[in-house]
Amino acid sequence: MRKIGLIAAREFLATVATRGFIVGVLLMPALLALAFSVGPRIMNQRSATVHGQVAVIDPTGRVTSALRTTIDPQAIAARRDETARRVLAAAPAAVRDLAASTGNTSNAAVDRMVGAVPDLQIVDSSDIGSQKAWLIEPTKELQPRHIAVVVIHHDAVSLPADHAEYGTYDLYVPVNLDDRIEAVIVDSVREAIVNARVLTQSLDREHLDALLRVQRPPSVTVTRNNEQVTSGVFNRVLPFAFVGLLLFGVLMGGQGLVTSTVEEKSSRVIEVLLSAVSPFELLAGKILGQMGVSLVVLALYIGLGLMLLASFTMLGLLDITLVFYLMVFFVITYLTIGSAMVAVGSAVNEMREAQSLMMPIMLTMMVPWVLAAPIAREPNSTFSTAISFIPPMNTFAMLLRLTSSAPPPAWQVWLTMGIGVGSVVAAVWMASKVFKIGLLMYGKPPDFKTLVRWVRAA
Amino acid sequence: MDAALRLTGIRKTFGATTAVDHLDLAVPVGALYGVIGPNGAGKTTTIRMIMSILFPDSGELSVLGHRSALDAKDRIGYLPEERGVYRKMHVGAFMVYMAQLKGVSDAGLPARVRSGLERVGLGGTERKRCEELSKGMLQKVQLLAAIIHQPDLLILDEPFSGLDPVSMRQLHDLVLEEHRRGATVLFSTHVMTQAEEICEHVVMIDRGRKVMDDRVTDIRRRYDPRTIRFEPLDPAADITPLRSLAEVEQVEPATHGYDIRLVDGSDPGAAIRRITSTLTPSRIELARPRLEDIFVSIVEGGSGESGRSGGAGGEGATA
Repeated sequence: MRKIGLIAAREFLATVATRGFIVGVLLMPALLALAFSVGPRIMNQRSATVHGQVAVIDPTGRVTSALRTTIDPQAIAARRDETARRVLAAAPAAVRDLAASTGNTSNAAVDRMVGAVPDLQIVDSSDIGSQKAWLIEPTKELQPRHIAVVVIHHDAVSLPADHAEYGTYDLYVPVNLDDRIEAVIVDSVREAIVNARVLTQSLDREHLDALLRVQRPPSVTVTRNNEQVTSGVFNRVLPFAFVGLLLFGVLMGGQGLVTSTVEEKSSRVIEVLLSAVSPFELLAGKILGQMGVSLVVLALYIGLGLMLLASFTMLGLLDITLVFYLMVFFVITYLTIGSAMVAVGSAVNEMREAQSLMMPIMLTMMVPWVLAAPIAREPNSTFSTAISFIPPMNTFAMLLRLTSSAPPPAWQVWLTMGIGVGSVVAAVWMASKVFKIGLLMYGKPPDFKTLVRWVRAA
Repeated sequence: MDAALRLTGIRKTFGATTAVDHLDLAVPVGALYGVIGPNGAGKTTTIRMIMSILFPDSGELSVLGHRSALDAKDRIGYLPEERGVYRKMHVGAFMVYMAQLKGVSDAGLPARVRSGLERVGLGGTERKRCEELSKGMLQKVQLLAAIIHQPDLLILDEPFSGLDPVSMRQLHDLVLEEHRRGATVLFSTHVMTQAEEICEHVVMIDRGRKVMDDRVTDIRRRYDPRTIRFEPLDPAADITPLRSLAEVEQVEPATHGYDIRLVDGSDPGAAIRRITSTLTPSRIELARPRLEDIFVSIVEGGSGESGRSGGAGGEGATA
C-alpha cells in the first residue's frame, strides 16, 4: 500500500506541479472572470450612432406622420427602456440588484446588444423605381446614408369591407445593412401602422395596451427548506453542467493516464520501476494519482459553480446530494475508463499509436453526451432507464436523470452504482493483464484482437 | 553453499522463438557472476525472469530464498538494459523516489543520496533535472539508484554499455565495492573482456542455452593455451629452425613477431625452452585464452555445457 501511495503521489505531483496544468486549469475560470469583470469595461463604449434616411411611400397618407414620431430617437429609447424593464422584472432578484447597482451600465449593455439608437430621417416619396435606385447609389461622406425604402400597402391602415386582415408593407434595404438598424425600422413601422389604425378607429392606444397586458408572475420553486423563484435557465442547464463535469473529469484523468504511461514506456523508466514494484502496484498508483488530479480540478469547478450560484442567491435551488452523486459516479466512471486508458498507454509506444485504440473508448463516452437532451427530457423512458444500466454510459445517464425534472426511483440509482462497481472490477482486472504484458512490449502496436489475447494469456 | 539465485529448467518462448531453453543456474551468496553471450542470446530475458518482470513457461526459480523476486524486491538492486529516468525530475528527487520504492526510510535519505553522487563525481547535481545530464552521468545515477538501498542481490544488465573508459572504471569500482560489501552480483554483458576483468565466475549463453558455467580461472586452465607469442631479438632472424621443432605445428607472422601454434598434447613449458634455445627472444609469452575465443570455439564446435564443462562447470551449475 505504501508503494501505491508513493507512485500515486509522484503521479499527482508530476501533473499538478507543472506550469501547463496550472495555466490550463486556472485559465477557464480566469477567462470567465475576465469576461464578466473586465469585459464590460472594455466593451463599455457605445457603438457609433448611425445617421440615415428612410424613404417612405405611403398611399394611405396616415403612416408617414406616425412613423416620424415612432422613429424619433427618444421614442426608440423609450421603447427599449420599457422592454428592458419587463425583462428585468422576470429576472432573479440578484440580477435586478446587479442592474440597479450598475445604473447607466445596463443601458450601455442594451445598446451593445441592440445597437446605439440610430438617427433616422423620413423622406417622403412616391416612385418605387427611383427609390430603389436611390437605395443603392453611393452616399457621400458626412451625408446621411440611404438606409431603407418602406412601401406601405394601401390597405395597411383601413380594412376593406371584403378583407379579414389588414395589409402590411414592403421593406427594401441595401447590402450589408446592420440587422439591428433593420430591427429598429421594422419596430418603428409596426408601431406607426398600429398607431395609425388606432387613430382611424378613434381608439385610445394606451388603453388598448393596458387591456392586452397580463403580467407573467415568476413561478416559485418549493423545496423542503425554502421557497425560491424558479429559474428556467438553471433547470435547463443543470443536467448538462453535471454531465459536462463528469465527462471533463474522466477525460482529463484518462488522457493524463495514457500520456504518463506512454512517457514512462518511451523513456524506458518502466523497467526500473518494475524492479521495485509489481505491475499491479504501478497500475493502481498511477490510476489513483491521476484520479487525485481530476478530483482537484472537479473540486475547483464545483466550488466556483457553487460560489456563482450563491452570488445569485440561487444556491437553494441546487439539491446538494447531486454533488455527492456526481462524485460517486465520477469515481466509478473514472476507474472504469481510466483502467482502459492505462491499458492502452501500456500497449503502445507513442501517443500517435494510442489514438486509434482510444477512439472506441472516446466514442463510447460521447454517446451519453449526444443523448443528453432526450434523456434529460424523458428521464423515465424505457430508453433512458435501459441506458442507465449499460456501463460505462450508465453513470452519465443516471446523473442526467437525477438532475432532471423527474428523478428515478432509488433502487435504480443503487442498481446503477452496483453495475458500476462491477464494471470497475472487470476493467481493472483486464487492464492489469494488458498492463503486465504491454509494458515491456515494443515495436508494432497491438490490435484489438491481440489485446484480447493478452487478457487471456496473462 | 546457499544459493542467492537458483534457476532450474527455465524455459521461455515468444511465439515460435525459444528465448531461453531449459536453463539451470545457481549463484552462491556473495558471488560475482557474469552472464555472457552475444546479442539475442537470451541474457536479458533470463534476467527479466529472475526479476519477475517476465514469467517462465516452465521451470522453477528461487531468488534470495523466495519463489518470486516480487517477494524480495526490496533486497534486490536492478539496473536493466532498457534503463531510463523521469527526464523532468530532479536527480536527487529521482534517487530519493527510487530509494523510497525500495523501502528505504526517509531518515537520512537526502544525505545518503548526496554522498552517493559525490562518490561518482556527480556532487551538486541533485537539483539538476535528469535531462540535463549526459548519458554517462545518467548511467551512474541509475546504478546509484540501484544500490542506494544496499541490496543483497545486485543484477546488472549490460551495465557498462556506451560508457567512456573513465566512467566505466568508476562504475566498475562501484560494482566491486558492492561485492566487497557482501552483495551477490550478477551481471550480463556481450563484451566478454568486461566479464573476464570483473567476474569470478561466468555463465555463457548462446541461443537460449547454457554452453558454459565455470570459474574464470578454471576455464582458462581447462582451455589450455596452444599458442606462444614470440618476438626474436633480431627482427630479421631466420625463423625456419622453429618450424622444425617437434612441439611446433605452425608459425605465423603476427603484428609484432610471430604466433607459434603448438601441437596438441605438447608441453608449453618445454616448447618455450626449446624455442628460446633455438632463437634468442626479445619477448616470449604464452597467449592466455580469451573468453571470446573460448566462446567462439564452443559455439563453432557445436558443443554445449554438457559436452565441454568438466567438474568445475558441473559444480557451478549445481552448487
